[in-house]
Amino acid sequence: MARTIKVKMLALLAVFIAAPLSAFAQAPQDGAAAAAPPSVSVTNETPGVPLTPQQLSAQCAVPTSEIAAPAPLPATIVRLEGNQPLRILAIGSSSTWGVGATSRRKNYPSQLEAMLERVLKTVPIEVVNRGVSGETAEATADRLRIEAALLRPDLVLWQVGTNDAVQRVSVESFERTVSETVAQLRKKNIDVVLVGLQYTPKYARDEHYFAIRDALKRVAAEHNALYVRRYQAMEHISKTKSNLQMMADDDFHLNDLGYQCMAEHIAHAMTANLFVRRRKPAS
Amino acid sequence: MDQFTNRPKILTATVPAKVKGTRPPNEIDFWRGYALVVIFLNHIPGIWFENYTHKNFGFSDSAELFVLLAGWSLRSMVDRQSRDLTSLGLFFRLGSRAIVLYVAQLVITVIAIAIIASTAFISDTNLVLQWNNAAAIFEDPVTAHIGLVLLSHHLGYFDILPLYIVLMAMTPFMAVLHRALPWALLPVSFAIWAATLGTAVNLPTWPVEGRWFFNPFAWQFILVIGFLLGGDSVITRIAVTWRAIARLLGGLIVALGLLATYLQFYPDPFNVPQPPLFFVADKTFLTPLRLIHVLGLVAFFGGSFAFFYKKARPLARFLSMLGRNSLNVFCVGSLLSLSAQSARFALGSTLWVDVFVVLIGLLLMSATAWVSEWRARLK
Repeated sequence: MARTIKVKMLALLAVFIAAPLSAFAQAPQDGAAAAAPPSVSVTNETPGVPLTPQQLSAQCAVPTSEIAAPAPLPATIVRLEGNQPLRILAIGSSSTWGVGATSRRKNYPSQLEAMLERVLKTVPIEVVNRGVSGETAEATADRLRIEAALLRPDLVLWQVGTNDAVQRVSVESFERTVSETVAQLRKKNIDVVLVGLQYTPKYARDEHYFAIRDALKRVAAEHNALYVRRYQAMEHISKTKSNLQMMADDDFHLNDLGYQCMAEHIAHAMTANLFVRRRKPAS
Repeated sequence: MDQFTNRPKILTATVPAKVKGTRPPNEIDFWRGYALVVIFLNHIPGIWFENYTHKNFGFSDSAELFVLLAGWSLRSMVDRQSRDLTSLGLFFRLGSRAIVLYVAQLVITVIAIAIIASTAFISDTNLVLQWNNAAAIFEDPVTAHIGLVLLSHHLGYFDILPLYIVLMAMTPFMAVLHRALPWALLPVSFAIWAATLGTAVNLPTWPVEGRWFFNPFAWQFILVIGFLLGGDSVITRIAVTWRAIARLLGGLIVALGLLATYLQFYPDPFNVPQPPLFFVADKTFLTPLRLIHVLGLVAFFGGSFAFFYKKARPLARFLSMLGRNSLNVFCVGSLLSLSAQSARFALGSTLWVDVFVVLIGLLLMSATAWVSEWRARLK
């Protein structure tokens, strides 16, 4: 009897060990820097990419000035003008993984990928999600450096700050961590988009929350990185469209619609910048 | 000479057993016990004591030491058993160890989930449910539970046992290869490690998109090194013959590690030659810097058990007792680390709280070891 159980357990273990291995065999080797670009069909009619900025849906509409200040995305421009595939690394914590979304396809990186593919028609887009829930900037920065060195993304979307604010990480330490990491990425000609803190009424009067938010804004300005004002944009929607339910049941994270707006705002901020650059090359 | 293997010993000083029915305190158990205590401390982020564990004084931490010593003690077991076992018998004997570890991983993960849930429930703070990569369990239970059973989803700090399970599942092949072609084990293991670093392949995680924190293809190398050092092998013979030089070299590596930490020198992944994993200090891929550092530690501190046994006998006996029961102590220690995170969340993060949680933790870890041996004696 005991032997039969042992044999059965062995068989089960073999299945469990084999399953992730086979999944690995099928998965794209995202670690390999020299890996072939994703095989998405491309209709390459003319060099360069026809660009119109991402349009905002009625639910997610906010004044453009509430979303982001213009900042250059030079590496992305080069890829688009060469009609080359664009690899984006979306890193951060629960809002990147998608806590509150009904499925992984509804988190912001997945929705953003679909939006960018629609807007940047002829260029294959790959968004790699590296969201780990509950993580502060320092832990993410450690992962980000090695992931960026291995994946060689053209652009990094770093959603950061909420956990540092909630877990009372000091403003100086937070600012230093983010600033050093952004500087390293910029030096390697990787575009950086900093996605700001979550809007939540719970922390609407919390001084530390705002201090972290301001620190992130300073870092973006210091490195001329694109900063998505997630807090302001969502606050605007929640105040002007109070009938819309954007938050998940925990009243802290976003739901599917909330993530759609977050993705729309980021897509808009990115494409508006590219659009401006293409129209005004001197700028 | 080593009492088990009848071969030259380099790190296996032993003394007579005091507790009836248990192994006498020895160097391997002593350092395994040390690694268990350090892992317990390192897994309580922000605790005061964490600033003084050896990860702060060089490139490697206790995870490397723990896996190296696991290989070492595995060799003792294989050498003791293999005389009476066929290759097939040896294969299944070692494979069954992986199943024990798998069951242990599932049990501690379920308890860890309950600790996180209790903390959120008692403190009425849903944000706690995100701790340690746990969000998927509560937000996406359908896929996360499949992932837990497939070992493709790990809670933060509960990712060493999945590595250990895969390594133990590899050990039957390792032991059989070593029995058939002893000289081939090290080159094969090295080639797998080097290819892993060159290509950056790793097992994927699911449903959280990412990769294993401890890459088994890289970490098998240190298990094999431990396995070879634990008995007669080319590297053991070199280490024994050139013992003084090995210690000197180890001392130099430890000193360089100290200097690098003092100067805050860490290679920037963006500014190293290709392929980058050969030049950075990365834990996931057990990169050369970390590997060389832990080997330096072993070469330098190996044999110092005799000193501790002479000068600090209660400490030597205490750590050896923990090391003798490493799986049970590791499992309880992991849960204690998580409980300590909860305690610090509830009580605040003052030095008194830190002292309190560490004392309780050490007490319960030693109780676990004592009860394990007491149960073994009853049998």
